[in-house]
Amino acid sequence: MWKYIARRTVEMIPILIVISILTFLFIHFIPGDPARLVAGKDATLEDVENVRHELGLDKPILKQYMDYMKNLVTGELGTSLTTGLPVIDMFKTRFMPSLHLTFLSMFWATLMGLVIGVFSAINKNKWPDYFGMVTAVSGISIPGFWLGLLLIQLFSVQLGLFPTGGLDGFSSYILPSLTLGAGIMSMIARFTRSSMLETLQADFIRTGRAKGLKEHSVIVTHALRNSLISVVTVAGLQFGFLLGGSVVVETVFSFPGMGRLLIDSIAFRDYPVIQSALLLFAFEFILVNLIVDVLYTVLNPKIQLNS
Amino acid sequence: MTSPTTVQNSQVQNTQRKYSPLKEFWKSFKKQKAALVASIFIGLLIVIAIIGPYIAPYDPFEPNYNALLEGPSASHLAGTDEYGRDIFSRLIVGAKISLMVSFSAVFLGLILGTILGLISGYFGGWVDKIIMRSCDVLFSFPDLLLAIAIVALLGPGINNVIIAVMIFSVPSFARLVRGATLNAKENVYVEAAQSMGASHVRVLWKHIFPETISELIIFVTMRIGTAILAASGLSFLGLGASPEMPEWGVMLSSGRDYLGTSSHVVIMPGIAIFLTVLAFNLIGDGLRDVLDPKIKNN
Amino acid sequence: MNYVKKLVFVILCTLLLAACAEKDNSNASNTGDKSTTDSGTASSKNELVIAVNENFISMDPHNTGDTNSSSVQETMLEGLLGFNADGQIIKVLADDYSISEDALVYTFKLKEGVTFHDGEQFNAEAVKVNIERIMNDESLRLYSRGFSLISDVEILGDYEIKVTLKEPYGPMITRFGVAKMISPKMIKENSADIPKKPVGTGPYKFVEWVQGDHLTIENFDGYWDGGERVAKITYKPVPENGSRVAMLKAGDAQVIYPVPAQNIDELSNSKDVEVNKVPSTIAHYVSLNTYKKPLDDIKVRQAFNYAVDKDAYLKVVNAGLGLPLDSIIPSKTVYYKQQKMYEHNIEKAKELLAEAGYPDGFDIEIWGNTNSDTMKGMQFIQQQLGQIGVKVEIKSMEEGTLSDEIYGAQTPDDAKLQMWYVSWSAYASDITNATKPLFHSVSFPPNGANTAYYHNTEADQLMDEANSISDVDRQAELYEKLQEIVYQDTPWIFLGVDEVVYGVRSNVSGVLVNPTGGLDVKNAKVE
Repeated sequence: MWKYIARRTVEMIPILIVISILTFLFIHFIPGDPARLVAGKDATLEDVENVRHELGLDKPILKQYMDYMKNLVTGELGTSLTTGLPVIDMFKTRFMPSLHLTFLSMFWATLMGLVIGVFSAINKNKWPDYFGMVTAVSGISIPGFWLGLLLIQLFSVQLGLFPTGGLDGFSSYILPSLTLGAGIMSMIARFTRSSMLETLQADFIRTGRAKGLKEHSVIVTHALRNSLISVVTVAGLQFGFLLGGSVVVETVFSFPGMGRLLIDSIAFRDYPVIQSALLLFAFEFILVNLIVDVLYTVLNPKIQLNS
Repeated sequence: MTSPTTVQNSQVQNTQRKYSPLKEFWKSFKKQKAALVASIFIGLLIVIAIIGPYIAPYDPFEPNYNALLEGPSASHLAGTDEYGRDIFSRLIVGAKISLMVSFSAVFLGLILGTILGLISGYFGGWVDKIIMRSCDVLFSFPDLLLAIAIVALLGPGINNVIIAVMIFSVPSFARLVRGATLNAKENVYVEAAQSMGASHVRVLWKHIFPETISELIIFVTMRIGTAILAASGLSFLGLGASPEMPEWGVMLSSGRDYLGTSSHVVIMPGIAIFLTVLAFNLIGDGLRDVLDPKIKNN
Repeated sequence: MNYVKKLVFVILCTLLLAACAEKDNSNASNTGDKSTTDSGTASSKNELVIAVNENFISMDPHNTGDTNSSSVQETMLEGLLGFNADGQIIKVLADDYSISEDALVYTFKLKEGVTFHDGEQFNAEAVKVNIERIMNDESLRLYSRGFSLISDVEILGDYEIKVTLKEPYGPMITRFGVAKMISPKMIKENSADIPKKPVGTGPYKFVEWVQGDHLTIENFDGYWDGGERVAKITYKPVPENGSRVAMLKAGDAQVIYPVPAQNIDELSNSKDVEVNKVPSTIAHYVSLNTYKKPLDDIKVRQAFNYAVDKDAYLKVVNAGLGLPLDSIIPSKTVYYKQQKMYEHNIEKAKELLAEAGYPDGFDIEIWGNTNSDTMKGMQFIQQQLGQIGVKVEIKSMEEGTLSDEIYGAQTPDDAKLQMWYVSWSAYASDITNATKPLFHSVSFPPNGANTAYYHNTEADQLMDEANSISDVDRQAELYEKLQEIVYQDTPWIFLGVDEVVYGVRSNVSGVLVNPTGGLDVKNAKVE
C-alpha cells in the first residue's frame, strides 16, 4: 500500500503540470481583459496599453506561462494584478479559515449523517426513519444562500447569539458551517441509510444473524463497515468541494475564505491569483481522491490497489 | 418533460423482466405512502407545467407599479414581486422552466457520467486514469469559473444554464458509477460471464450496469433537486436565466434582497423549490426500496 | 461484543464532545454577548465598526481606483487639497494655492508644523518626493493621470512649491485633491509596504489589515489639527446586503455603507438606527448607439426617453430613492445646469416611433452587468419600451465579458452594442471626467466610454476649450452650452441620479458621505 501511495504521489507531478497548462490556457481563453478592468471604464486606449505593459500582459503567452512556472518552482506565486500584493500573502490569510470551516462542517455533517442514516435504516419505515429522512431531505432542498440568510435573521438579528459575518473567533464558524454542512449531512444520511439497508439484507449479514450474533454487533461490525464505502465516496467528494471554498456561503457570511478571494479575482481577471488558486484546488482534489481510494481498500479488502 | 417517466418505465421494465411483473411493482410501490403522495404531487406539477399559461390568473410578465411588493391576499394568492407582478402566476408558469432545466441537465449528465463511469471502472488502466483525472480537473474547477466560461462561450440564456448544470453533475455520476462498477466487477457472475466469452458491452450492460442502478436512482433524484438549486445558485451569481423569466431560481435569488422586508417574495419560490425537491427525493427512496433486488420488503 | 463496547464508547465520547462544544458555544456566545455589550459601552466612546459593501483593494493612495479603499485612506492620509462634504475642492495640507491663467502653473504654500505618523516632517521636499513618485513609477501611471503631464517640480522655499504642466489639464486640481502624501521616508526606504500599511499625516494611523476580513486604524495623537476622535475604527467588507443590514441591527457594526434601498423604511423605523441620504454624482442612464440603425434616428431616441417613466424608475428600481437625471451630469457636479426633461408620454413616443418609420416597433438588445440592481433596471427598461412595441432582449454579462464585448470593438462599425444600462461617476469637482470620456468623439471605444458613439463637432470644441483655460466664469459658460446641446441630441435614456444612503447607530454622529460615495468618518463621535 505504501508503494501505491508513493507511486500516486509521484504521478501527481505530471498531472499538476498538465492541469497548470490547461488552467493557464483556460484563464486566458475566457473573455475579459485584466488591463481594461484594472484601468477602469474611463481609461483611454493609451492608459490600457500602459497598464497592460506594466502588468506584463503584453508578453507572448508562452513566455508568460514559463515565467509563471519558473516562479512556481522557486515557491513564488507571483503578484496580484489588482492589489499588488504577493499572491502567497493573500493565500496565507485566506486558506486557514477555509480549511477550518471545511473540517468543522465535515465533522458535524458526517457524524450527524451517519447517526441519522443508521437509525433510519434500523427503523426502516417507522417514525424515526421518516423523521430522519425528512430532516435529510430538508437539508438538501434548501438553497445555501437562503438558509444562510435565514440563519442570520434568526440567530444573529433576532437572538443575537452569533456574529452576522466576518471572522472573529470560533463563534464566526458556527453559522457558516451549519449552512455548508446541512446539505452534506443530508447526503451522508441518505447514503448511509440506503447502503445500510442493502447490506443488512446481504447474505453475510444473515449468516451473522443466523450464527446468533447480537444485532448491535451485526450492525456495527458488518453493516456499517460495509456501508462506509459509499459514504467515504460521498464525503470525500464533498470535502474536496468545500476546500475550494464556497462562493455563496462565504458571500452571505462575508467569510474571508478562498471562495471569496477567487470570486473577487475572477471579477478582475486577476490571472496570477486565479491561476494559483486553481492549481491549489486541483492539488487538494487529487490528494483527497488519493485518500478516498486508499480508504476504499481499507474498508473493502476485495478491491485491490493495482495499476 | 417526458424524460422522468421514460426512465421510470425502463426501470420498471427491467424489474419486470428480472424480478416481478408490473402488478407486483405497483403492489409494493403502493405501500410506500410517502412516495405515492410525492408522485401525485409531481404528477400535478407536470400537469401544471403543461397547462400553466392557461390557468395563471395574471400575466406573469405584466408589471403593476401600483402594487409593488404586496403581501399574499385574496387577489394575489402569493403576493406581488418588486414589479407588482403576481407571484402565484409566475410560480405556475415557471414550473415548466424549472422542471425542464433540471430534468434536461440531470439526464444529460446521467447519460454522459454513467457511460464514463462504467468504462472507467470496468476497463481500469489508463482509460480509467484519463477519465478519472479529467473528472478531477473538472471537479477542481470552481463552478463559477466554468459557468463564466460556458456562458461566455455560448452567451447568456437558459440553454446554457442547462449545460452548465449538466457539466457540474457529470463527474459526480462518473465517480459514483465507477465505484459501484469496481465493486460489481469483483462479483463471481461477472467473472463467469467474462470467462464464457461475453462481449464487454454485454457484460457492462447486463451484469454491471444493473448493479449500479440502485445507487443511480437515488443519486438522480437527489440531482434533480440539486439541479434546481444549482440553477438558483447561478442566478445568485447573476449567471442564470434571463432576469424576467419566472424560473424559480431566478425568482428566489432576485427576491433575496427583500428577505427582511417583504419576505413572501423569497419564501414563495423557496417553498415551491423545497416541496419539489422533497417530492423527488421521496419518490426516489420509494422506488429504490421497491426496485432494489437486494432489499426485500418483508 | 468488543465492537459494541467500542461503539458505545465512541458515541459517549462524541456526545460528551458535543455537549462540551455546545457548552463552549454557549459560553462563547455569552461572553461574545457580554463583550459586545461591553464594547458597546466601550465603543460608546472609543470604537467604531464600519461595514462596507466591497473588499478594499489597495492602501496605496497613488494606486487606488475604488471608493472604499479611498475612504479608508482619507482617514490616514491627506493631500495638498481635499474635498468638502459637497465634493468641492478645499485646502488641506496647502495653506494657499494659485493657478496661472494658461492653466499650466500651480503654486502651493504649505502648512507648517505637520508631521507624518513616523515622525517625518511634512515640507516642500516631502511633496516633491511624492509627486515624483507618481510621475516616475510606471506601475502607478494609470492612477496618476495628469501627473504624467507634469514637466517640472520646483521647490521655492521650505514650504512653497511650484508645479508646471506640459499642457493644460482640466481635472488637475481634482488630481491634487486625490493625490495623498506619503511619508518620504517610506517612499525611499520601504515602498513595497505602501499598498499594505501606508504612513501619512492623517488623524488616524494604520494598525492592521487582514485581507478580506477587516482593516483597523487608530487615533494619531500627534495630528496637526488636534481635536477629539474615537480611538479605534475597524472596517469590514460585507458584500451581501442582507448581512450588512443585519450587522447594523444587531449592533455588530455602528456604521454601514451603503444601505440597500429596500431596507431603508425598515431601518428608519428603528429607534436604534439612523438612515441618512445624500445626493450623489452617480448617474444612471442607458447609452444608445447613435451610430447605427435604429438608434441613429434622433426620433427613436426621443421616443425612448418619452416612453420611460422616470418617477416609476426611481420608485421601482431605486426603491423611491434618488432624483431624475435632468441634465447630462448630476446636480452635484460643478457647472451643472438643469435641462427641460422629457415627460412621460406614451402617445408622443409612439408617434415619434411611427414618424421614424417604426410604427410596429422593433427588436433590440440591452446589455448590462450581472449586479442585481442592473438586472432590475434592465427589466424595467424592457417593460417600459414594451409599451411602445419595442421588444427588448436582456443580455446580462459578467463584468469581464461585458467589457470585452464593448471595448473589443475597434471602430464604430464593429460595435455590436445597441443599448448599455450603466452608471457613471466622476468627482463633483471634475466636470472634465464627467463629460469628455462620455461625449467627446475622441472617446469612442476602445479609447473611452463614449458608448453612444455620440459625435457633435460643436460639443467637441466646447469641451476642448473649457479644458485649456483656468477662467472659472468662461468654463461655466462653455459647460452650460455643452449640457444644452448634448441633452437635446439625446444620446442616452436619461434615468436618474442616485442618492447614497448610509446607516449609523443612533449614538454615532459626525459621519458624512460625499457625493462620490466616499465615507468620511474623520470627525465621527460616539456617545
